[in-house]
Amino acid sequence: MGGPGSSPCASCKLLRRRCAKDCIFAPYFPSDDPHKFAIVHKVFGASNVSKMLQELPIHQRADAVNSLVFEANARVRDPVYGCVGAISYLQNQVSQLQMQLAVAQAEILCIQLQHEPTLQSHHQLLELDQGDKALLLHNNNIDNFNSNNNNNNLCYAMSSGQFSSNFAPSSIMQMQMQDPPKQESLWT
Amino acid sequence: MNPKRCAACKYLRRRCPKDCIFSPYFPPSDPDKFACIHRIYGAGNVSKMLQQLPVQSRAEAVESLSFEAKCRVEDPVYGCVGMISLLQTQIQKTQTLLAKTQAEIAVAQAKHSQTQVNEFM
Repeated sequence: MGGPGSSPCASCKLLRRRCAKDCIFAPYFPSDDPHKFAIVHKVFGASNVSKMLQELPIHQRADAVNSLVFEANARVRDPVYGCVGAISYLQNQVSQLQMQLAVAQAEILCIQLQHEPTLQSHHQLLELDQGDKALLLHNNNIDNFNSNNNNNNLCYAMSSGQFSSNFAPSSIMQMQMQDPPKQESLWT
Repeated sequence: MNPKRCAACKYLRRRCPKDCIFSPYFPPSDPDKFACIHRIYGAGNVSKMLQQLPVQSRAEAVESLSFEAKCRVEDPVYGCVGMISLLQTQIQKTQTLLAKTQAEIAVAQAKHSQTQVNEFM
């Protein structure tokens, strides 16, 4: 904390001003890490950060500062895309994994259908919990997987299909903002 | 005042020069875009960032700044970092399910091989 007798916080050092006892930056920008404030100041500006922190309850400010530092670092590393580059990369990874999962799930269905053709319902084939079943149904549109005549053709198509995924960062600008995690800190 | 001012100059209540750095990216038809970016980053910082970029990269930079600013306005604590966290969680869950499914494939294939051996004998 700033104040007489104690060293100024990193923000007040950089801004070359007296570090008040109630300095809004002092709890989050200790003097031993000058780079942290420098990078946030470079991208967002001290007054914008101060305004943002003032609008938040105290117990949320540490997380807010950490996320601002993360975003500022991403923007300095990639001045064009910033965090959006990371989001695009992760979105691509999710898609690829979901494709691999769909192929694997189709493969196991094929194996089981080929060797146990007397089973009536595809729901008996897999011993999955409800969450996994929901994911399986979502990925494979299994509700339409009813025709015995098309079983082998569909298995082949899903197992051998070539998927391409080109996710330019501009494509994820269309992403809907999902509900962010509010119950626990991202940083623990 | 020039009615054809860009959204940035309109917001900042200033003349919009011919070489205004903001005007290609902030048309007057979308005032919210600049307002949001200005609220989070400030006009001076955005201007500096754009000046440091080659012209062909500036449009994408503005779009990404706009996206991040919108995320920060909607979630003042985590901004777009919340989205990154959700994606990382989704990746972990999908990897776990994929590993589980691949193990089931291995078991099914082993069972089939054993059945074939038994039939042969």
